Amino acid sequence: MRLFLLAVAAATLVAGPSLAADGEHMFLQSCAACHKPTGLGVPGAFPALAGDKFVMGDPKDPIGRVLNGRGGMPSFANDLSDADIATILTYVRSAWGNKAKPVTTPMVTALRTGGNRENAKAQLQAH
Amino acid sequence: MTELLTDGLGVSRRTFLESLGGMGGSALLLGGMAALGFGIASAQAGPPDLGSGGAGKKVVILGAGVAGMTAAYELSKAGYEVTLLEARSFAGGRCQTARKGFKLTELGGETETCDFDDGLYINHGPWRIPYHHRSTLHYANKFNVPLEIFVNDNDASYVVFDKGTGPLAGKPIRKGQIAADARGSAAEILAKSVKQGALDQQMTAEDRELFKAYLVHEGFLDKDLAYKGTEGRGWAIEPGAGVNPGPGKESVPYPLADVLHSHAWATLGSVTSYDQQKTMFQPVGGMDRIAKGFEGAIGGLIKYNTVVKTFRQDPKGVTITYVDGDGKPGTLKADYCICTIPLSVLRQLDFGVSPKFKAAISDVSYAPVGKIGLQMKRRFWEEDDHIYGGHIYTDNPDIGSMSLPSTGWMSQKGVILGYYQFGSNAAKVSALSYAERRALAAAAGEKAFPGRFASNVETSFASAWHLIEHNLGGWAQWSDDGRATSYPLLCEPDGRLYLAGEHLSYLGGWQAGGIESAWQQIAKLHARVHAA
Repeated sequence: MRLFLLAVAAATLVAGPSLAADGEHMFLQSCAACHKPTGLGVPGAFPALAGDKFVMGDPKDPIGRVLNGRGGMPSFANDLSDADIATILTYVRSAWGNKAKPVTTPMVTALRTGGNRENAKAQLQAH
Repeated sequence: MTELLTDGLGVSRRTFLESLGGMGGSALLLGGMAALGFGIASAQAGPPDLGSGGAGKKVVILGAGVAGMTAAYELSKAGYEVTLLEARSFAGGRCQTARKGFKLTELGGETETCDFDDGLYINHGPWRIPYHHRSTLHYANKFNVPLEIFVNDNDASYVVFDKGTGPLAGKPIRKGQIAADARGSAAEILAKSVKQGALDQQMTAEDRELFKAYLVHEGFLDKDLAYKGTEGRGWAIEPGAGVNPGPGKESVPYPLADVLHSHAWATLGSVTSYDQQKTMFQPVGGMDRIAKGFEGAIGGLIKYNTVVKTFRQDPKGVTITYVDGDGKPGTLKADYCICTIPLSVLRQLDFGVSPKFKAAISDVSYAPVGKIGLQMKRRFWEEDDHIYGGHIYTDNPDIGSMSLPSTGWMSQKGVILGYYQFGSNAAKVSALSYAERRALAAAAGEKAFPGRFASNVETSFASAWHLIEHNLGGWAQWSDDGRATSYPLLCEPDGRLYLAGEHLSYLGGWQAGGIESAWQQIAKLHARVHAA
């Protein structure tokens, strides 16, 4: 237990200062093609994240959306780690004037149900 | 397996092979084949026989992709009065081919115009047809679309895996060499184990001999049960005329440890997956020949540049509102509606359906998918590497696989598929500009063809299906939960509205899925009209 706490403290020290930058970087990589770097999305296709109630509401909702996908949005469960999802959502909930509490890795882990999507088998060739 | 092989488990020689079957070997295979429908090939081989009797009934079909056009073709043949509304200026849906002059504007992005040389193209949507997709072949045949073989597997093609270790990591290795060496070495180990008595307790002498004979054959083993390579993996010096090169010189296999650590074996399987057959087809000249075939037959029923806005229904019929190419609103009334609009798009439209149906429409996600066609100045893969078609396999998920053209053999130029990636990798790559995407593919290709890939790229055409209006995704991806709850709901009509498309099939992302879904829905609709 003590070792675990030490490890967490060390990780926090290392990750702490760059967390927001990491979040922005990962957002630009994985999300911005659709939701745009401005967080404004594309009307009629991809929802705006800036000023969005769903994004800033109960963290379970946006976490579930990233893990499971819905509507036009794919599941990122197989592509992003729990820590990545937490970092990205923390950024999204604080960027562009958004104000909501950070998302932590354990919150994501708790909602991950094991990734039973068909795209798990999308390997070398798909269609 | 290991437990079964140990002594003292009480497994008799007689039951050993039977127990292998029980573990999921032959028993599962035989039972499962029929259960999965493999015995009857791609579900339906031909359209339902509607006969006639559609006269006086109006059907409006939304979307002139292969599903919508299938429905329009068959229903109009049966006498229905059919109107097809299509948002684009051309038919085909995702069945598109980019050639000189083809324009694509990704949402929020700049317009890209394909500037390939005349005769060159990339199928940025569907691009290959497994031989057992009899539904797709049915229409290719009906519309006289000439087909050619699509080389989907090629022992000469390269595997370039970066993430492994050892001397083979990061190098282009011929797929056939990996296959020969991995399987040869595995067969040697098994055969020697049998010879040393590893299965004496479990198998009869006769079974052991047969098993060994199989391993010798499978792994090209010599009389000492050793794998020392085989001519099929290629020669160090090719045999030829006279005494020099004369008999040639055999190549030396890669050590098993190197093969294992390279991870290149991940491209191998005893057989291909069902939809990745070695024998596949492509239409000569581009996949959109299929769409053009339909268009030739029922093009007159299509209202192009017509974007659907709302859907309403009552016990008597359906009402669709739309905006046409001149921006003028319009209304269309019919008895029934078949909607083939992808669910990613449909969920954002104002459709008067039951709340349950509406919720089910949103209960699916769509795959981000990216492709890029690279026009090459010369066909170096054929000229220098002697690879004719097939894929270049990478373990870089931003690239997925590359593919060499199965057409235009030995001509001057050709279009290579530079990447084919999915999911978050496709999302990531699509955030890049077109020029950056080309650079990404060019750099990846250099690993397989050092010194000649990037320098031969003349021009490119990239597409990201999740950013393409009217599609918003490559194909539907159902979760297990969605398949159990929402999917069956959407397969049934909501009042007078029937959905159809690849998203309502287990052949997701394939044209056959769209066609067979349409067949199923029009059969239901027709039965209902007849019963009324």
